[in-house]
Amino acid sequence: MPDSVATRPGGFDLRRAVGMAPVAIFVAMLIYIGFNAPNFLTWSTIQLVLSQSVPVVVVCLGLSVVVMAGGDDVVSGGIDLSVPATAILCAGIIAQQVTLAEQPLFLAAMLAFGAALIVGALNGFLVTRIGMTPLLTSLAMFVAVVGVNNVITASRRIDIDAPLILFLRDDRIVGLPAGVAIALVLCVVFVFAIHHTKWGLNLQAVGGSREAAEVSGLRPSHFLFWSFVIAAFAGFLASFFVLARGSGSSPGTEDNLLLEMVLATFLGASFSPRRVVTVWGAVLGAVLVAALSIGFKSMGVNVFWTGLIKGSLILIVVALGAASQRMR
Amino acid sequence: MADSVAGSEQATGTRWTLPVRYGFLVLIAAFVVFFATMNPVFLHGGNLMNIVEGSAILLIVALGMTLIVSTGGIDLSVGIALDFGAAFAVVAMKEFGVDWYTAALIGIAGGSLVGLLNAGLVVGLKVSPFLATLGTFFIGSSVQRIFTNGGGPISHRRMPQEYRDLAVGDIFGIPTEVVIAGVICLIYFVVLERSIIGRRVHALGMQRSAANVAGLKVNRYLIACFIVASMTCAVGGLIASANIRMFTPLSGFAYLLDAIAAVFIGAALHPRGRPNVPGTLVAVLFLSVVTNGLNLMGLNFNTKDALSGIILVSVLALAVAQRKLR
Repeated sequence: MPDSVATRPGGFDLRRAVGMAPVAIFVAMLIYIGFNAPNFLTWSTIQLVLSQSVPVVVVCLGLSVVVMAGGDDVVSGGIDLSVPATAILCAGIIAQQVTLAEQPLFLAAMLAFGAALIVGALNGFLVTRIGMTPLLTSLAMFVAVVGVNNVITASRRIDIDAPLILFLRDDRIVGLPAGVAIALVLCVVFVFAIHHTKWGLNLQAVGGSREAAEVSGLRPSHFLFWSFVIAAFAGFLASFFVLARGSGSSPGTEDNLLLEMVLATFLGASFSPRRVVTVWGAVLGAVLVAALSIGFKSMGVNVFWTGLIKGSLILIVVALGAASQRMR
Repeated sequence: MADSVAGSEQATGTRWTLPVRYGFLVLIAAFVVFFATMNPVFLHGGNLMNIVEGSAILLIVALGMTLIVSTGGIDLSVGIALDFGAAFAVVAMKEFGVDWYTAALIGIAGGSLVGLLNAGLVVGLKVSPFLATLGTFFIGSSVQRIFTNGGGPISHRRMPQEYRDLAVGDIFGIPTEVVIAGVICLIYFVVLERSIIGRRVHALGMQRSAANVAGLKVNRYLIACFIVASMTCAVGGLIASANIRMFTPLSGFAYLLDAIAAVFIGAALHPRGRPNVPGTLVAVLFLSVVTNGLNLMGLNFNTKDALSGIILVSVLALAVAQRKLR
């Protein structure tokens, strides 16, 4: 019945209109900001937006892999809320080792890499072997990992001035900030691995329908396990951008990263024609969220209001997504 | 059915089956023995009362969470309902000079706004409970920051003694907060586990479409559950604000993860893995034992935090593994 209304040929396509509404809202808000904030639509602001969004973009890469492998039901499907905590833990380990213990960056990075692998493997083990739901697992892991990071850094801010971090922060590659350029390469690699390799397509098949994938001979637990390891690896990669953005590691960064990651990933789903989480969607979502944050700041909006605005945006986007699902 | 599962377990029984099956009880006992040897004060009557008193607010919040998880959802905004309860009551007394019981009612009504918003989003707009309550959480946090100009506490030193007694008074020698938590727990137990209403709530949590086909007014029940849960959490807020004689913005967040953990540990202890009131009660007491024991060990704040996080993950894993093997 709703179908006949929605797909009337030549008429106003209500379902598509509802589906496009989140994008339209974002574009409208950006245009509004562009008119009201001086210098918002300049190349330097756009570069700032891109640089600021890089840590969120990279953790979103990890989360989107888990969602694609586990299915996009938030409660029973795949979700990994611990990626931001892993990123902060790796940043904490690197900063602590390089600045306080005066170890070379390579050694510190190896330690952080090991820690990330442990977090990812633990997540994967708890979900596939023990049978905990990903939501519960990763929420509890988030708390544990943040706790461990606070022990390592003693809840203090640690500055870092390793050359690689300064390179990511200050240098440029073919006209783009170095961090942005490298993150772009990472995005291409992730998109290629997930959307254009056999393994990636199998992983998406598992997320789309676990039963169908199992019947055709795939092992869902294999893909689910590795999706968590990949997500933790993305957290490890994100830690370098976190360090570059903040010129060091500071306690409490994880909360905002978590908020922006969830917002960007589910916002990204509303950009995809089938309303599913995709890598590019998540990346676009992360950039738009950063653009709004910086835009509101440069408009002089009270910083206390930004949570309200972001929260309302999540709700509007997911409500419109649910509405367009129902019209199908 | 259950027998055949248990039978097959025994047939293939590895040597790990037995310890894992009783793992949770063994774990509680192990923690108690460990804490008692680390610090003999742990087992003293006064400290045991501390543990019970310290778990009152968490129990109240966890009961609200139990209700929502029973309907098949999750509520990330319990802390906001708690904050709103405290804020509305304290402001009503401080700015408008109302009686303590009017203030308490206003606080509970304020908390119910959170449930109303959640219900509107979940039932009206069909947003999934996780994302809906996450949105409510951000909006509620932001509202508190705006209202308190950045998160400064609103203190009310000269609050009526009766209100203050909600936290520090006692009824026949039992601390009032324990009595309040106990009464709420009893009501939840009777309604959720022993009444037709509770059956229906569990039914819509397990098989929503079946419940719908069977003629259950699913939406009405969901709306009621969200509102009742937020009102329950608001009661926790009243006690918290009476205890420190002020409203501290964003303080409810501290209970969120423990409440979720308590509900899922409790569910894992249930034969069919359902969230349930007695399970939540046991889990809350266990979490309070761990918090109290770690406090008595005199650890550094960060270490304590990390340890309780790690214990949380392990206990959840154990509880879920135990149910699978039963």
